[in-house]
Amino acid sequence: MKKTKLTPRRAADNLFTYLALIGMSVIFLFPCLWLILASLSKTGSLYDFKGFFPQEYSFQTFIDLFNDDVNGLYPYKTWFFNTLYVATCSAFFGTILVLLTGYVMSRFRFQGRNTIKKTTLVLGMFPGFMGMTAIYIIMTQLGLIDKLESLIFYYSATAPLGYMVQKGYFDSIPNTIFEAARLDGATNLQVFTKVTLPLSKSMLVYTVLTQFAWPWSDVLLPKLLLKDRNMWTVAVGLFNLPETHFARFAAGSVFIAIPIVILYFCLVKHIVNGLTAGSVKG
Amino acid sequence: MKQKIQNVGHFLRWTPWQVKLSMLVMGLGQLCYGQIVKGLFYLACFGLILTYFITTGFADFIGFFTLGTNEENLWLGIPGDNSLTMLILGLFSIFILIFTVVLYVTNVKDVVYTARQAEQGKPIHKFRQTLETAADDKFHMSALTVPVVGVSIFSILPIVFMILIAFTDLGGDVVYPKLASWSFSAWKKILSLGKIGSTFVKILGWNIVWAICSTALNFIVGLGMALLLDKRNVKGSKFWRAFPILAYAIPGFISMLGFKYMFSQSGPINYCLDQAGLMRIFFLTNDASAKWWARGIGLFVNMWISAPSIMLMATGILSNIDTSLYEAASLDGASGFVQFKKITLPFVVFSTTPVLISQFVGNFNNFGIFFFLREGVISNYADYFLASDTDLLINWLYKLSVDNNYYSIGAAISLIIFLITASLSLMVYVRSAAYKQEDTFQ
Repeated sequence: MKKTKLTPRRAADNLFTYLALIGMSVIFLFPCLWLILASLSKTGSLYDFKGFFPQEYSFQTFIDLFNDDVNGLYPYKTWFFNTLYVATCSAFFGTILVLLTGYVMSRFRFQGRNTIKKTTLVLGMFPGFMGMTAIYIIMTQLGLIDKLESLIFYYSATAPLGYMVQKGYFDSIPNTIFEAARLDGATNLQVFTKVTLPLSKSMLVYTVLTQFAWPWSDVLLPKLLLKDRNMWTVAVGLFNLPETHFARFAAGSVFIAIPIVILYFCLVKHIVNGLTAGSVKG
Repeated sequence: MKQKIQNVGHFLRWTPWQVKLSMLVMGLGQLCYGQIVKGLFYLACFGLILTYFITTGFADFIGFFTLGTNEENLWLGIPGDNSLTMLILGLFSIFILIFTVVLYVTNVKDVVYTARQAEQGKPIHKFRQTLETAADDKFHMSALTVPVVGVSIFSILPIVFMILIAFTDLGGDVVYPKLASWSFSAWKKILSLGKIGSTFVKILGWNIVWAICSTALNFIVGLGMALLLDKRNVKGSKFWRAFPILAYAIPGFISMLGFKYMFSQSGPINYCLDQAGLMRIFFLTNDASAKWWARGIGLFVNMWISAPSIMLMATGILSNIDTSLYEAASLDGASGFVQFKKITLPFVVFSTTPVLISQFVGNFNNFGIFFFLREGVISNYADYFLASDTDLLINWLYKLSVDNNYYSIGAAISLIIFLITASLSLMVYVRSAAYKQEDTFQ
């Protein structure tokens, strides 16, 4: 390739481009940086911050986050393990259900398939928490208020509604592979466990991680179903922190955001596919 | 019709006594054919369903229509009926009824199949074989049972419940111990000129403005970033791209709460204004002057959270444009701007139209932004009914039905939101080619 000469016009273009890039980066980085530095502040209250950044830095907030629950008001450690429990269980059950649904909807043609497809489409058009009053009454009837299992039930049971991404992935596996396995005498169950799953490791990882990540950021449902402070999840806890505990909020957020951010950077390619393929729910 | 009756008559004459037994009591016929486990399973289901209906189910079913007849009487110590619970339990009994019918039909079909096998002298299926069929020929049915039951209970039942609630007078003054009844009062209130009706019109107007502005802003910023990073003179675009992705990856509620602190009354921005000798600004506070500040901040925060995903998508689309188009255009002497206008923009707009509409739907129902930025704000000064001047319909729905127990009005608003969302989404499906060609693709 011929090297182009740096004309004044080009130089101006470069300058403009890089200024725009720097502007963009500042807009997106600054709030994150602000939160991270705030989590390292020595004083906790928002009122003690002179301007954006703390006066003195220390790791104390992170230590307090786990060791000092301010007389039982903000037991972050309990919230953390509550969320971990909910996330692990619902990732396990939710993944199984959503993979099965996606696989069956992709590979089988049966009576009622179109009904299921249309029903899920219509269900997706209702406002997400429209049925929350009903969920609350159902959980009361089942005696699951203030129990973490209520969340696990709900997250796992409604996970199959998002089967489109998984279905799209199974659609892309050539049919001949399944036919060959069937000819070799494998039952449909064996085809699923011994042929499909090993071929779909990346989809499996993606599904587990997205199912796992959701309970960490859902506020509405746990806020409604869990009344006892010791039963809260991290998201509800952070939501209820007052301004006087701003540094605690920042530290608690940073602590759960870092793993999720790393996860997203690893999965960014899958997520782009999911964005374009499964853009049904908006 | 006559033909059908004859068919039924013929069927009854043909069937052996085991089938008739199974039609009477589920599972008995299977037991008589020696299919012990399956028979016991059906029998157990039959017993459970029967006990359910005798103990509570039948009363629940009746309660669905009456919504309660006994009002609480504290003097006599009689506990009253709770219309809300009765409605959902009644609905549940209807679901069980449907399930019973489905189970009954499979039971009869199953025993008829066995009877045919026996008639032709074939061996009757053992339990092992039944399991094998479930794992093979009927794999799709076995696999979908749990998802279908789960979704029915935790998604369909609640939604049907809310649809029904829209046609009762539950909520507001009519909560336990008062009894509710079926009525159209919620719709009358929304469509009338009262306080609720005027709030609805105001919120709907702002909701539409919000959906258009936020979708346009997110698209312009997202597309702009994608084009910027795609420029030939940008070095290290991967590095630059990481910043928007960082914003995208942080859980939404953390970003939104973070911005709430940033713009709060005693937050850093107001502190800086103070230091500069300026007045503090009510950004998100419950104050009449905060209206347009809060709306603007909402647009910005939503852009901060959503534009990166548009950027990622647009980057993918841009990489699909045939580069020879640009080469041909340069040969013809088209300038960079003309190339952008004639090639890039039409291509991007064409391929993102379905996404654009679903983004519009998503923004129309964007609950999080104003929930987190202005939680609990109710603008009494501006004559809003249990809503703030920044609330979207969906925020109002939450405040009505979850915070304040205005069930029927909330449910009616859910239905209106559904109608808007559904008609917009229908446009997506009509337009999206992938949906039409799904079966030809495989």
